[in-house]
Amino acid sequence: MEHVDELIAAHALHALDPEDERAVEAHLAECERCRVQLREMQSVSAAIALSAPAAEPPAELRDRVMASIGPAVVSTAQHEEQPAGRRWSWWPRFSAVAVPVLAVAVLALAVWNVSLRNGQGSQDIAAVTSVGNVGSLVSYQSGDATLVGNLRPAPANHTYEAWVIPSGQSVPLAAGTFAGGDGISFTLTKHASPGDTIVITLEPGSGGPSPKGPAVAKTVLPA
Amino acid sequence: MTDRTPRRDPITEHLSDHGLLALVARGDRDAFARLYDLYAAPAYSLALRVVRDRDLAADVVQDAFLAIWNQASKFDSSRGQPSTWILTVTHHKAVDTVRREERRRAEAIDEARETPDASAPVEDQAWQGVAREQVRAAMSKLPDPHREVLELAYFAGYTQSQLAERLAVPIGTVKSRTFAAMNALRELLAASGMHPEQEWNTSTS
Repeated sequence: MEHVDELIAAHALHALDPEDERAVEAHLAECERCRVQLREMQSVSAAIALSAPAAEPPAELRDRVMASIGPAVVSTAQHEEQPAGRRWSWWPRFSAVAVPVLAVAVLALAVWNVSLRNGQGSQDIAAVTSVGNVGSLVSYQSGDATLVGNLRPAPANHTYEAWVIPSGQSVPLAAGTFAGGDGISFTLTKHASPGDTIVITLEPGSGGPSPKGPAVAKTVLPA
Repeated sequence: MTDRTPRRDPITEHLSDHGLLALVARGDRDAFARLYDLYAAPAYSLALRVVRDRDLAADVVQDAFLAIWNQASKFDSSRGQPSTWILTVTHHKAVDTVRREERRRAEAIDEARETPDASAPVEDQAWQGVAREQVRAAMSKLPDPHREVLELAYFAGYTQSQLAERLAVPIGTVKSRTFAAMNALRELLAASGMHPEQEWNTSTS
């Protein structure tokens, strides 16, 4: 097929005329190289979406979308291939129970691993504090503090930076940078004491001595 | 944050997009709600830019997320990012709508007001804002004819033959210009540190 690369670029923009679209679809079905090419081009076209002016979806849309997928245990078109009545007798309970248990287990393991690595026993832990939507901060009697959890990886040319604001003060002290991702285990480069505030920000470049970017999470160590 | 801030689920909020989609494929509504909270704003912004009507844009987003719910079990996680898939599905539905409604010919682009996305979690707001600036910077560096074909094709829903007519150039020129524009944009995104083979929302680390 001629000019298939050209047509794949237009296909990723959903801009092919019907005849070309059928030809490209037929070609893609049997050409792995062109399927890879299409995935790359689709990631470029999805990036174009971000250049649209940011608009806020109406609040009721969330309710409409959730209602459109049907009640929790009723399947419509989604599971036609599933024998009726079998899947739904146990899957919903699995998701409701097993996942929270798994999440707690993951956190417990992370705390345990961090304790081992820091050469401190779990009896030295002063507190495990929830840090917004990131995970938890494990603070030790020694003043060490380790952030465990997950954060969307920092975008290109940006980094996450941790800050300690000592209790009763207002100036944040830089406490190290990290890239984010799944399974963060980051020990702050500053000691933290009970009553101190810990803030995580998203900083441009490689971070700096004072915060410039938006805060993504914040917690106060229990006094 | 306002009272419209969605309820945060303590379990799903720590999962990656791939993890969320795997749960959605098993019929997990909490994971689906979280995926909606993450991507409703960019999906709605895209739909509104294409269909130029708030009610139609909401319908497009609803259709797109219903398709995502129904087809999540068929998503092959080795073949791309959930965010690309969600925006691609949304884009197809928006363009199909506009072709059906024949509404796209409005020439003046009434810029939607930039509203901070109060419904997205704060780290996602920060994150999407940075990605948006990088894409806009890359788009602004494209030669005008390149940016023109991308915007007319992607946002206005012109097919290649309609573009040839509109721009009064041969269809072959439209095809080669579209190809060149997409590759130029990919290069510019890569130069700004976004790896197009990965995703607009992953790091280069």
